[in-house]
Amino acid sequence: MKITRRKLAFAALGSAAVVRAAQAPGQPEDLNAAAKEQLRKNSEALSKFDLPMSTEPAFEFKA
Amino acid sequence: MANFTDDIFFGTISELNTGLKSKQFSAVELVRAFAQRLEQLGPRYNALALPLTAIAIRRAKDVDKELKRQRYRGPLQGIPFGAKDLLSYADRPTTWGARPYAAQTFDYTATILNKLDNVGAVLVGKLAMIELAGGGGYRTAAASLFGPGLNPWDRSRWSGGSSSGSASAVAAGLVPFAIGSETSGSILTPAAFCGVTGLRPTYGLVSRHGAMALSWTMDKLGPMCRSAEDCGRVLEVIAGADSEDPGSAHKSFYYTPQYYRPAKDLRIGYAPVDFAEWAQPSARAAFQQALGVIRETGAKLIETKLPELPYGPLTSTIISAEGSSVFEPLISSGEVDELADAKQIAGLRAGLEISANDYLKAMRIRTIVKHKIRLLFVDVDVLLSPSRFGPAPKISEPLDHHPGEQETPKDPGMSALIPAGNLAGIPALSLPCGFADGLPVAIQLVGHAFSENQLIALGKEFQTRTDWHHRRPKS
Repeated sequence: MKITRRKLAFAALGSAAVVRAAQAPGQPEDLNAAAKEQLRKNSEALSKFDLPMSTEPAFEFKA
Repeated sequence: MANFTDDIFFGTISELNTGLKSKQFSAVELVRAFAQRLEQLGPRYNALALPLTAIAIRRAKDVDKELKRQRYRGPLQGIPFGAKDLLSYADRPTTWGARPYAAQTFDYTATILNKLDNVGAVLVGKLAMIELAGGGGYRTAAASLFGPGLNPWDRSRWSGGSSSGSASAVAAGLVPFAIGSETSGSILTPAAFCGVTGLRPTYGLVSRHGAMALSWTMDKLGPMCRSAEDCGRVLEVIAGADSEDPGSAHKSFYYTPQYYRPAKDLRIGYAPVDFAEWAQPSARAAFQQALGVIRETGAKLIETKLPELPYGPLTSTIISAEGSSVFEPLISSGEVDELADAKQIAGLRAGLEISANDYLKAMRIRTIVKHKIRLLFVDVDVLLSPSRFGPAPKISEPLDHHPGEQETPKDPGMSALIPAGNLAGIPALSLPCGFADGLPVAIQLVGHAFSENQLIALGKEFQTRTDWHHRRPKS
């Protein structure tokens, strides 16, 4: 799929969820499938990233 | 009765404060003039969510009594302002820009509005926004209960989102300043598109108690103003610890840019590819000129780029997972179908299916993002990039489609600075820097956590050398 300047730029727009909008095909009936497909692509991109066991999530717990 | 000209409607906070103290006009006169203007012209830009004129005038009467007794509360005393409609205001509708919440009310007022009230600033109205701050994603500018946000520079163009009304109201001289919110771009984008100065504070610096949640770990509230200095004045009031906000950094902010390093002592990181290739052709001259102005300050410009990390998938995963959890009752009840944008509905539904593993993985990689961004600031003091690479799109165009668009450059430069900065929770200041196709464009300055004074000091320097922030759209 061709990645264009505008598509990438809208990754930063308003909410990152617009990333999905930027990368999804346009038919309204496909919207649910496209949203799920985007989540799958996100998951795939994150899974390529190796993390050491000691890397904790960016939460701050306060007792 | 004062004669309210455009010079007043487009005045800065310090100019209006001077007018109040010199009795050029009273707080009641000033508030009434702005409130009426907001009511009259706000709908022209789909900027107004809720007028609060009567309450505002009553509050302004109290301010006048205080001023008469020389009881001064600071530069915001008697200054009208607007607030994005995701902030609760007791016993009045707070719609979050979304039809399912059109009749929603709270019995308390958001901390940020109480803080502004405590110094005598007067809320004249709540301002329109993209529904649910765009939490599920959206395809069109019309993804709002109030219709598409129209840009005061050209009403066929979008005002940006999700703080649409906050930006357009400031740009059109309907309020001297406004409060917006940013999860990933919602202050910087509309500020850039409308030609106003917008500040995204460090995560946790400003209390979000009483604000709609979209992403607990990424939501920030910040000012949208006429100048960098005004942003500093407002931030000083709204920053501070709040036990009601679990994300509070328990820090205050005192506006003291004079004690920060002058531009000539700063190292500013930038990526030439942002200005030469990522920027849309029509905007390149303005961005290059802005780069030249920064160079003239004596600052040392250093070529840099962001660490290569999956900023898009990270931001998408975190906001989708947290946002869909926030709105799980809306989704489960089926009321989500009342939203204006079909993409938003689909996105919120899908977000409920994000696995714990994916969310935790994203939050673990975010730890790496924070670390690497922190390391970036060992070599530079401030990052500089266009806020958006081009001017506001047409409201008639889907936001994800643009005929004739070019392929992206191979070098990513700092094209992902908005999601990267939001993931890292660091501050950013958007400064108008010129025009493209007759519409404003802007640069962003990004600093390490709690470096707002340094960003504002540099922003002030830029704005003493340029007059883009003084430009007004034709009425």
